[in-house]
Amino acid sequence: MKQWKQTLSSLIHPLIALLIGFLAGAIAISVTGTPILQAYQEMWTGAFGNLYFLTSTLARSTPIILLGLGISLAFRSGYFNLGAEGQMVLGAVAAALTALYMPGSGIVKLLAAMAAGMIAGGLWSLLAAWMDAKFKVNLLISTLLLNYIASLFAGYLVTEPFKDTTGSAALAQSRMIEQGAWLPKLFAGMSLHAGFVLAVVIAILLTLLLRYTVFGYELKITGQNPLFAAYGGVNRTRVMILCMLTSGALAGLAGTVEVLGSQYRYIDGSLTAPGYAWTGLMATLLANSNPLGTTIAAVFLAALQTGAMGLERNTNVPLEISSVIQAALILFISARFTYSFLKRRKEEKNNGATV
Amino acid sequence: MEQLFDLSLLNSTVRMVTPILLAALGGSLCARVGIFNVALEGLVLVGAFGAILGNALTGNLFLAVLIAIGSVLLFSLLFAYITIHLRANEIVAGVALNFLAAGLTTFLLRTIFSVKGAYYDNEMHGLPAWDLPFLQQIPVLEQLFSGHTPLVWLAYLFVIGLHLFYFKSVAGSRLLAVGENPVAAQSIGLKVRKIQYAAILGCGLFCGLAGAQLSLGQVTMFSEGMTAGRGYIALVAMMLGQSNPVGMLASSLLFGFMDALSIRLQGLSIPTHFTLMLPYVMTVIAMFFFRDKSYLKNTGANSSAR
Repeated sequence: MKQWKQTLSSLIHPLIALLIGFLAGAIAISVTGTPILQAYQEMWTGAFGNLYFLTSTLARSTPIILLGLGISLAFRSGYFNLGAEGQMVLGAVAAALTALYMPGSGIVKLLAAMAAGMIAGGLWSLLAAWMDAKFKVNLLISTLLLNYIASLFAGYLVTEPFKDTTGSAALAQSRMIEQGAWLPKLFAGMSLHAGFVLAVVIAILLTLLLRYTVFGYELKITGQNPLFAAYGGVNRTRVMILCMLTSGALAGLAGTVEVLGSQYRYIDGSLTAPGYAWTGLMATLLANSNPLGTTIAAVFLAALQTGAMGLERNTNVPLEISSVIQAALILFISARFTYSFLKRRKEEKNNGATV
Repeated sequence: MEQLFDLSLLNSTVRMVTPILLAALGGSLCARVGIFNVALEGLVLVGAFGAILGNALTGNLFLAVLIAIGSVLLFSLLFAYITIHLRANEIVAGVALNFLAAGLTTFLLRTIFSVKGAYYDNEMHGLPAWDLPFLQQIPVLEQLFSGHTPLVWLAYLFVIGLHLFYFKSVAGSRLLAVGENPVAAQSIGLKVRKIQYAAILGCGLFCGLAGAQLSLGQVTMFSEGMTAGRGYIALVAMMLGQSNPVGMLASSLLFGFMDALSIRLQGLSIPTHFTLMLPYVMTVIAMFFFRDKSYLKNTGANSSAR
């Protein structure tokens, strides 16, 4: 009974935030003159209306889940990995090139490409972690800067040495990967691919890792109380390096499954333009870095985006409505105002302690 | 080599650096009161949109800049309320505000101006160039400092002003006290929250000007996401300059110089991608030499994950 109450009260806060998010969306929709209820109905149809839309939503959520899981792992240990975008892009380009140039049968190419993608993303993230551990170069800033460098480098690879010269030469993209190395689709004719299953499995594995292993425990206490962790003999640098490595590898995997499962080549800008990395960060924030929660939040955010696309197709509401709803949602979920107003009264006294 | 480095290169450095410098100065106000403001990118974007909107509505440049500032102040107020009153994590709130700014400006661009991508009007005038007469007499400076908008001048004045404010004024030292030890500041009777609010709003003012310079100074148009990461670069410049106005000027100039140089290098046979990388690579290298002082350590990256 008590547990029930706790679950309920922990649900109230996200629900209020959700309400505020949709309220903000409603205001924005009413500006365009489209009836609000009709707009939200269109959104629902666009996200979950039939099997095709549903699978598109899940396909879109796949990279977001993996990115979110990677970021949440770093979060848990107390670090902000803002470099998921660069790690994803390098992973994607490494996977595409490996699948193109690796000799062997389709399945060999597929596995090699996935390994290459994870390694590329992981190493890029490791670089930032190493600079922080060894030279005290602030992780927050270095990961942010490395994004630009990674995207430009990947862009260079597909405009100069590995550019697709077979088709219309206008696009900066690699050649197409042969069909044997593609990730299989889950339903014929739909965009959902095996990467989604992989993402869900990884989410479950991460949950188990955090809950039942020594490393998971070390990681948690490093994030919650670094001093206590150090006192208890946890090697903080080791935890950070491992977390950032895994975090980057997951981001790299996100890029990899996009390449192997839906685009079949690396197209410059195709991963950065939809803002997958920032959406992944949001999913993590929404779920308070819980792996399974992150997965659900990622699907939800992807649904908002595919829903908004449907909305734009059928009405005159621009698809940016999804960013408005997302942002309002995150803003209010991050606020701790429902922690009872009484408590805040007390805290008014230690005015200013924001963190 | 001479083709590469000439005075017009420095001239474009001075111009390009202005939005970054202004935003960094604003960010430092927040950093100095212990709030790490990741929302600079979004705030500048809102400013750029506000400036164009104001220009289109009123046709008056002064009013346009005021509207830019006003809209950013509103946005900052939201940030302040959420981080100070509702005690949200400032990085989370900042990221969300960046999203909101990107979404809202694009959304409004489509609903108000009914265009996709970018809005410009040939009838619309940008900010005028102001040449200071006494500088025009001196040969080198004349080339360096000609054709800049009033906002460029203002940005450099703000560097001096902010330096005096932080280190020579009573109000400034109170602000620093809040950042360094809120409890101690509280105990000597400073209104910590009020000062934090003021700092965030001050940051909004700077970001509004940065946005106006971006959309009315350098070009006369608004395009979706036109800040293109400048807010994040400003954040980097702020941290590299350790929230010290002169330091931030130096780090912004470094970045602006590299940016201008990268455009110049495109004429040579170096691939564009590598020249574009230059500012970021240089900044990473610079971070090895100027390490982040630890006054932000407790507010930023390390304690914010729960």
